[in-house]
Amino acid sequence: MHVEPPKPEDIKSVFPQFEEVHFLKAGGFKAVYKIIVNGSTEAFKIVYIPDISGADPEVSNELKKESLGRVAREIKILNDCRSPEIVKLGTIQPTPVVLNSREYVAYSEEFLDGDTLRELIRQSVKPTEQDLRLLLLSLLRAIRELWSLNFIHRDIKPDNIMKLNRKVDRSFVLLDLGIAFSIADTPLTFDASNRLPPGTYRYLAPEMLQPGFRESIDFRSDIYSAALTVYEYAAGQHPLSKSKDDLIATLSRIIQESPKSLREYRNDLSPFIIGTIDQMLKKIPALRPSNINLLIDKLGEDI
Amino acid sequence: MKLYAQHGYGEGEKINQGLQKGVISGAVYGAKDITPERLNDRLGDIAKIEQTAGRLFDPQYYVSLISSDPNIRLGKIEEYPYFKIRRRSQLENNNIVEEDVRSVLEFQVKLPVTAVISPNILISRSFDSVEAVIAKNFIRQAKKIYNPLRDKRPVFATLAISREALLDFTELESFLNDITLLGSPPDGFYLIVGARSTEARTDLYNADVIAAWMLLNYSLKINGFQVINGYADIISPFLGAVGGDVACTGWWSNLRTFSIDRFAPEATGGRQPVPRYLSTKLLNRITFYELHALRKIIPEVAIVNGLSMDDKYEGEPDRSDEVLQSWEALSSLLSAMTMAEDATINLKKCGDAIKSAYELYTLIKTRYRLDPKSDNSHLEPLQEGMSLFKKRAEI
Repeated sequence: MHVEPPKPEDIKSVFPQFEEVHFLKAGGFKAVYKIIVNGSTEAFKIVYIPDISGADPEVSNELKKESLGRVAREIKILNDCRSPEIVKLGTIQPTPVVLNSREYVAYSEEFLDGDTLRELIRQSVKPTEQDLRLLLLSLLRAIRELWSLNFIHRDIKPDNIMKLNRKVDRSFVLLDLGIAFSIADTPLTFDASNRLPPGTYRYLAPEMLQPGFRESIDFRSDIYSAALTVYEYAAGQHPLSKSKDDLIATLSRIIQESPKSLREYRNDLSPFIIGTIDQMLKKIPALRPSNINLLIDKLGEDI
Repeated sequence: MKLYAQHGYGEGEKINQGLQKGVISGAVYGAKDITPERLNDRLGDIAKIEQTAGRLFDPQYYVSLISSDPNIRLGKIEEYPYFKIRRRSQLENNNIVEEDVRSVLEFQVKLPVTAVISPNILISRSFDSVEAVIAKNFIRQAKKIYNPLRDKRPVFATLAISREALLDFTELESFLNDITLLGSPPDGFYLIVGARSTEARTDLYNADVIAAWMLLNYSLKINGFQVINGYADIISPFLGAVGGDVACTGWWSNLRTFSIDRFAPEATGGRQPVPRYLSTKLLNRITFYELHALRKIIPEVAIVNGLSMDDKYEGEPDRSDEVLQSWEALSSLLSAMTMAEDATINLKKCGDAIKSAYELYTLIKTRYRLDPKSDNSHLEPLQEGMSLFKKRAEI
């Protein structure tokens, strides 16, 4: 479902305190703008609350409830997380707004100056081993932090990772916790048994395609998606999905096909980094390294 | 991978000699065949012979559940302060599990062991069972109860599984997913795979069982655990190839293959088995007289291993030499097949060893008929088990 993002002037009309508003990107139910408010730059996000006209009012209500629940969960996680590898909230607290007769929830996050990994992959950037180690280290720290709060990100992919231009003590930051899964709270997904799991299919861990995955899912699904992301960034291509594939072909590859070793594309990388990424991509969660602290120690040794 | 002696009845000087000769690196004592006092002395003796030797004690707690059988042979286990007869329903109570784990650990921390083995029950049928739930709870409790004892030695959780349970791969996968993600995990696992009987060789020489046993080692190692494989015998190199740290084997067939029937009433009137020679080239044991025959009949091929204990097989070897030969041969296989950090390199060596064994058996078959226990029937399950493991582990 595509929703035309509101224009910057529409935003400004509702939030007159914003000194500047520039459209950055839109996807799914979200749009992001760069704003200047009280002299500081922030990323302003608006999340569309779907209104399915003509649908059963009960269904429509449930979907609305799900969307609002997801925003509330994302805000809660961002409030609770202390890890610098996870994006921070900005000064605009979650606010319901109506723009062009559509309902949204708006809030802000810190503005991160950099490029997403997706942009860098498009530019055919070939990352160094040091760069890949830093990326993996950042993702593992973020996953560890989320798991300590009983959450799984579920949408780790190149589009949701920002490489910062100014590396002080942060190199890569994980964004967008909009579909994070809680192992401790009531599930948010309405009519879950009739829907594919939320997330970007190309980055779903194989176990998430099994019926009843919510009963056993854990942070190792994020480990898988993180490895897929690092692999794609290193190799310049996704290890399983082909551009000509349809959804079924992609899902089938995720379940059945073993990716080629990263060595096939980057034999200049150390056996350690190649072995670690290859191992994190195993189909069975128990075959992925789950001792994050041990991995972080090993990765950090040479940085 | 290191090799430890699996202790049992009739130890004599076997373990001392094995350590002195450097063919084993430690021993796992079993409660059934040693009194608590003697155990303490023996562990101390071993430390004197070889300071770095691994010294472990298997509390054999898994017998608790079958101990109400009037015909059960508990040996010395009943002399241990932690031992109690338990019903499965009692072990569904967490307080009793905690009490039993604490009692076993408190007993062991007073011993001169190099690591402590936490108790568990045997998962006898399926990972999707009450037993498996209880077993997972025992594993969870190990470190939690051990930590307050403030002992620096590593703690290993017993994981005792019947071969039947290993046959269902989906359930194994699910069980592995659970135990590799424990909140307070042990430092490692003392892994035992049980056959229906210690003589039922085909029980463990089964492709599914071997693949599952390898997968357990591989997964546990990847997740940072140390793995000690009890009663692993000739399967040891295949377990070491994919990450197992220690393998154990002993001098009787019931110390080479684990089965709960070890504790069942003993059949009387049995004869001493014919001494056998562990051939590194055949990956199997043949009788000493078959070895003599093959040396004569196939003179162009060196049938012997080329190791120091070969000299003891000029005639009929005595029992202690037989066990030393077995350990020496197995140690040599472990050195050859398990030393690379990369499992694919080790697996290639395992594959080459199977291929060579097939070739040698083919040559032998043209000129000599081996006893059924000495034939090549173990090679197919080893080869298929390895292939199945590689497929499941995506190697």
